Amino acid sequence: MTGFVDLYTEVDTFLHRMDPRVKIIAVVLLSLLGFVLSSLLSLLVLLAFMFILLFLARATLSKTMFALKFVLRIMVLIMVLWPLFDPSGKPELASLGPVKITEPAIIRGVTSAVRVGCLATVWYILLFTTSQRDLVRGLVKLGLRFDFGLTIAISLRFFPTFGSMLESIKDAQRARGLELERGNVLKRARNYVAVLVPTIVSALRAADTLSLALQSRAYGARADRTYLREISMRGADVLALAIVIGLLVVPSMAKYMFQVPI
Amino acid sequence: MIPCTSPSSTDEKIISVRDLKYVYDNKVQALQGITLDIRKGEYLALVGGNGSGKTTLAKHFNGLLRPTGGTVAVHGRPAAECTVAGLARIVGYAFQNPDHQLFCPTVEEEVAFGPRNIGYDEKEVAVKAERAIEAMGIRHLKGRAPLSLPLGERRRVSIASVIAMDPEVIILDEPTTGLDAEEIKDLMSSVDRLNREGKTIILITHDMKLVAQHARRVVVLSKGMVSLDSDPRGAFSDLDLLRESNLLPPPVTILAHRLSDCGIPKDILSPEELVVRILLIGGGAA
Repeated sequence: MTGFVDLYTEVDTFLHRMDPRVKIIAVVLLSLLGFVLSSLLSLLVLLAFMFILLFLARATLSKTMFALKFVLRIMVLIMVLWPLFDPSGKPELASLGPVKITEPAIIRGVTSAVRVGCLATVWYILLFTTSQRDLVRGLVKLGLRFDFGLTIAISLRFFPTFGSMLESIKDAQRARGLELERGNVLKRARNYVAVLVPTIVSALRAADTLSLALQSRAYGARADRTYLREISMRGADVLALAIVIGLLVVPSMAKYMFQVPI
Repeated sequence: MIPCTSPSSTDEKIISVRDLKYVYDNKVQALQGITLDIRKGEYLALVGGNGSGKTTLAKHFNGLLRPTGGTVAVHGRPAAECTVAGLARIVGYAFQNPDHQLFCPTVEEEVAFGPRNIGYDEKEVAVKAERAIEAMGIRHLKGRAPLSLPLGERRRVSIASVIAMDPEVIILDEPTTGLDAEEIKDLMSSVDRLNREGKTIILITHDMKLVAQHARRVVVLSKGMVSLDSDPRGAFSDLDLLRESNLLPPPVTILAHRLSDCGIPKDILSPEELVVRILLIGGGAA
């Protein structure tokens, strides 16, 4: 009913079982790798690797498509715009006034698009395989303050709630003759005021109630927190972490110490 | 309190529902074949347990939901062919939570928003807004910020903002939740007056006392089907059917059922009626 989709799919794969801390670190390291690699070929290899992981995470096709739809749009945009604004390099393929399309610029555009694809996919893998609770638990164990973690957890938890609230508010205003998609950009922006104000006000009222509910359940009564579920690293987690560190360190050394163009 | 006597409904059908089915995106079959006619001037209560399909059905009347099977016609025209904004002139829908509707800096602007949207000129907008403010008794709040008012008054403003569009049918979704007895009395007397003036009222509620005191027709929904369609007296005499629909008649009616062995009829709707009946029996015995 709402536009929000929780990307997490509950299946049992090695990626799902992995310690969330390891996954978070791995995703950060693999993102860095995306910046270290600069040739199109090596970035394509990285993208292929990401897709294999996505496949191993048994992500459903519908969720994958939902997630990649946004990224694909940005990738296409980069591939189109880059050559238009980057006139450097030869050979020149076409020109129109000050706009010059050159072959290296096209390759640079494609390379950047693939890099964006890699960066997005690696984060999607994390979201596909880690429940919101585990994600927050992992972040807190990595040193995030507990109340920040709780804030993140609560915001994620309330996404679907606010999604359905937004639908209800839209319906309520449409019942008063509001046509959201009617008129020019300015008129449409103004139409949305009738939706945004009730949404924000209702959200603030909900937040107020929620904070009272937290306090009435003695939130913050104990300085030292204990946890119902402890997370622990197992052999497989250590191995995975080692592999990912290797994946970052080896190409970095090759590139910066031995000047291998990858 | 005696059920209000007001001009009885005419034969003019405003809303005709034929074999209406509705399945939500998540495959929940909310309505499974509903057939219903709503005539001009009716005072209808749509009741049923949570999840019985009351709101889903009502959202078809102004086009917010489109049938997945069957038809809904408003004034003979399929609602599926009309825009929600077009239907808003005929069917007004006041949502359960007033906070989902209110957004303007003043009550006056809030009430004028609807009629302005559906294309009345400024003079008509002012007249209609004024009339709605009058009808809901909120003249004293005209310059106030709707969102800072207490719940009872926010509810009145949100209802005024719907009736300002001058619709023939007014749907009130749980209008009394969260209100105290005095606020309910004030609100419902405004609603009764609207009905006397010829508006068709559709009251969605869990409050059977409210139904007994105000409605003249009760449609009971259960699991997406109409399980009963009758006047309140008829509806409240069948306790088993009500229980199956997760409903209980008002306490005074239950008491009458318990006293039926003493000669009290089962279709009592108000304390006054019960008192009269008891006095009659007492008088007969003396």
